[in-house]
Amino acid sequence: MTETLFDGLAVQSLAKCDPAKTGLLWSVFLSPDELLSAVKRLYQAEYFIEDLTAIDAKEGYLLVYHFDHMGHPGRVALRVLIYQEAPELPSIADVFQGAEWHERETTDFYGITFKGNPNPVPLLLMPEMKGHPLQKDDGARASLADLLPTGEIVRTVPGFDLLTPKAESGAATPA
Amino acid sequence: MYSIINSIPTELIHIVIGLVAIMAFVGIHVLVLVYAERKGAGHIQRRPGPFEVGPHGILQPLADAGKLIGKQLLRPDHADPILYWMAPVLAVFPVLLLFVPMPFGPVVTVQEVNLGLLLILAFSGISVLSTLLAGWASNNKFGLLGAARAVSQSVAYEIPLLLTVLCIAFQYGSLNLSTIVEAQGSWPWQWNIVCQPLAFLIFLACAFAETNRAPFDLPEAESELTAGFHTEYSGMGFGMFFMAEYANMVVVSGVCTALFLGGWKGPGIDGVWWFMIKVYALLGLFIWVRWTYPRVRFDQLLNINWKWLLPLATLNLLGTIFFMKIF
Amino acid sequence: MAYEEFGLTEGDFYSRNFQKGMREDTMILNLGPQHPATHGVLRVIVELDGEYVIRAEPVIGYLHRMHEKMAEGRTITQYLPNMGRVDYGHALGWNGALVGAVERLAGFEVPERAEYIRVITTELNRITSHLLWWGAFTLDLGAITPIMYAFDDREQMLDILQMATGSRLTHSSFRFGGVCTDLSDRFIETCKAFVPHMRDRLPMYRGLVTDNVILRKRLEGVGIFDADLCRRYGASGPVVRGSGIDYDVRRAEPYSVYDRFDWKVPVYPAGDSMARYLVRMDEMEQSLNIIEQALASLPAGKIMMPKAPKVTWALPKGESYFATEGARGKVGVHLVSDGGKFPYKIKLRSPCYCNLSAFAEAARGLLLADALAILGSLDLVIPEIDR
Repeated sequence: MTETLFDGLAVQSLAKCDPAKTGLLWSVFLSPDELLSAVKRLYQAEYFIEDLTAIDAKEGYLLVYHFDHMGHPGRVALRVLIYQEAPELPSIADVFQGAEWHERETTDFYGITFKGNPNPVPLLLMPEMKGHPLQKDDGARASLADLLPTGEIVRTVPGFDLLTPKAESGAATPA
Repeated sequence: MYSIINSIPTELIHIVIGLVAIMAFVGIHVLVLVYAERKGAGHIQRRPGPFEVGPHGILQPLADAGKLIGKQLLRPDHADPILYWMAPVLAVFPVLLLFVPMPFGPVVTVQEVNLGLLLILAFSGISVLSTLLAGWASNNKFGLLGAARAVSQSVAYEIPLLLTVLCIAFQYGSLNLSTIVEAQGSWPWQWNIVCQPLAFLIFLACAFAETNRAPFDLPEAESELTAGFHTEYSGMGFGMFFMAEYANMVVVSGVCTALFLGGWKGPGIDGVWWFMIKVYALLGLFIWVRWTYPRVRFDQLLNINWKWLLPLATLNLLGTIFFMKIF
Repeated sequence: MAYEEFGLTEGDFYSRNFQKGMREDTMILNLGPQHPATHGVLRVIVELDGEYVIRAEPVIGYLHRMHEKMAEGRTITQYLPNMGRVDYGHALGWNGALVGAVERLAGFEVPERAEYIRVITTELNRITSHLLWWGAFTLDLGAITPIMYAFDDREQMLDILQMATGSRLTHSSFRFGGVCTDLSDRFIETCKAFVPHMRDRLPMYRGLVTDNVILRKRLEGVGIFDADLCRRYGASGPVVRGSGIDYDVRRAEPYSVYDRFDWKVPVYPAGDSMARYLVRMDEMEQSLNIIEQALASLPAGKIMMPKAPKVTWALPKGESYFATEGARGKVGVHLVSDGGKFPYKIKLRSPCYCNLSAFAEAARGLLLADALAILGSLDLVIPEIDR
């Protein structure tokens, strides 16, 4: 069912994973512009939001949204890559109100701005606090290809090479 | 010198002595009640209750009182000092007056007052004022909410209380508590509870509400309003509200005993002991209920009053009048 | 810093920020961080019209310990005891989630006996958690006595759990690839004797508390969470099962050996506080069923896999997500590793956090007392929300 869920969306990569090994069923790479429409489809298909976090990697912040279904379980991970220089992407709190807190938490920890969050004040950290604790130093960042399994790719756009191991480091370009 | 003493009316001396006796009586009974409540709570909750201070913790209330007296009295900033300190005083002293017409025994009454019932009802209304002042003057939002609750609750529940009392008053054509007790017989079936069971139940429900006891303890609902109207009071400020609550319970149980349970009369020899036994049975009921039931919600509390107790009390009154006209 | 950003100059940041959209004829009441009904250090700011809640905003973070940052500075084995501190109510649910995520990533095979021990202790822990909630919730509603009865039973269970896990509250007896101690004969005997005792107590609780007319009137129809609201906020656990959704991670994503036992997922359709209450009361009975069956069919064998990881063991590269059913809902651990000494990233999904985020919407327009009844019915454990 999920396989057809993202039809017609410009998904960068759609991969089927083995739930027994990763806990995920689908791993979906999206561009920030496509995020809201993908999330709306998940809402219409009665998925619920599990959590939302970021992975600080060499290529940028990889936002990971986890969704699951209460009727036919199978976790869907939406992944959106944004650059560390301009950490900004649209909020999904309009569709999944529960995302408001997760987004505020991610703002606290990583300094990522979610445009359209209805109440973007600090949540877990105190308002006087400066800095973002989960940001990594440049040297400590790993590349996404080392962190994430590729899974069994169903479709992908040409040029999408985020998860292909590279010989040398350097910011990869999301397609 | 002698003539000066002689010129004081004997009734005044009588009342002063009576008031002193009442204060001692109230003080002792508050201590006993605190102990009874803590022990009762303990046994209902399957624990021994106070056990350390004195044998079986019997000196615990004294220790509590000592602690309360020794504590610093605090007043929040921006609280009105006069009203703030007036409230606890106003809570305790009217209650003492309520004992004046109380018929403890055939001869043990401070002062027989013809309008005794009216006196009790009038002065018990003042306790609402003290609650209101306490909540209002302490400049605390929890206190304010508690005070607002207390006023609407007391005003609402006073009406059915009055109507049930009127039933008894009509029946005997008297507002004198001693007369009402006198008119009842020694045996339980000769008491008013038999001919006025509905009035008794309504009176009891109102008694719980008027004394702010669980399940109607909304003005101080701990889990919602921390401590309601007395949130800001420390030491004896709180202690006086505490005393007033217990004294009020004694008064309400006393009135209930006199009106419905035959007062000092009982099988065998009439006397103060019967009165005290009945009062303590009612107080035991108060304690038992408090530690058993959850608290009702505020709108439910008012609904119980306006939709059930008030119509029932009115019907009961009309029924009483009807029967008295016919027979 | 944040003050100027949000146009504030002084005072308490959250109250001032909340004040911005305030109506003129209302009052703002600050419940907590120290308040009898917020069970710890939760703070809820409410705007009241009389006693009706117009807006509510939970302010959390007073107990924030940054567990996710701690994970980046220690090996995963050193991090395991942290799980007992995230949720003091149901520590073993969190133990199970982290251990599961690591085992999934590393591909460990856990001995059967260890899985049974995990199930038995986790379910015992679930009952202690529900008993704690039950006592605290009835306390919120003004009934002071039930908590004493709950703690009596809980105390006995903690004694039993102590034999198996070594601790009474912050259990962390699970290990990657097994559990740390085997069940003693005394544990099995005591536990077998305790299950029927507890089963006898549940009808008494029902008679004394659940069927009380005041309690029912306080809870029925109050704080309705419908299925859509649950999905939008990601609620889970007894909250969704009280909204008529048959969703339990132990069934939906079977883990450990739960699929070998015969037990039911209690579901109530009403969605009100009473439904959530009844779900938890029934869950205690189902947990007893599971414990009984697991004890009866406890296999012999080892409790640790061979070559179990040492303290300095480093996680293999990769990503894994593991969810368990905690007492409050779906506990999730998202683990990302670059093969280094310390984990690269750990994300903890706390069920209470998501359940509480729905509170503001559910409490709108209710009486203050009802709002607090909802807070209680969500079974909040603040350390878990704040992490």
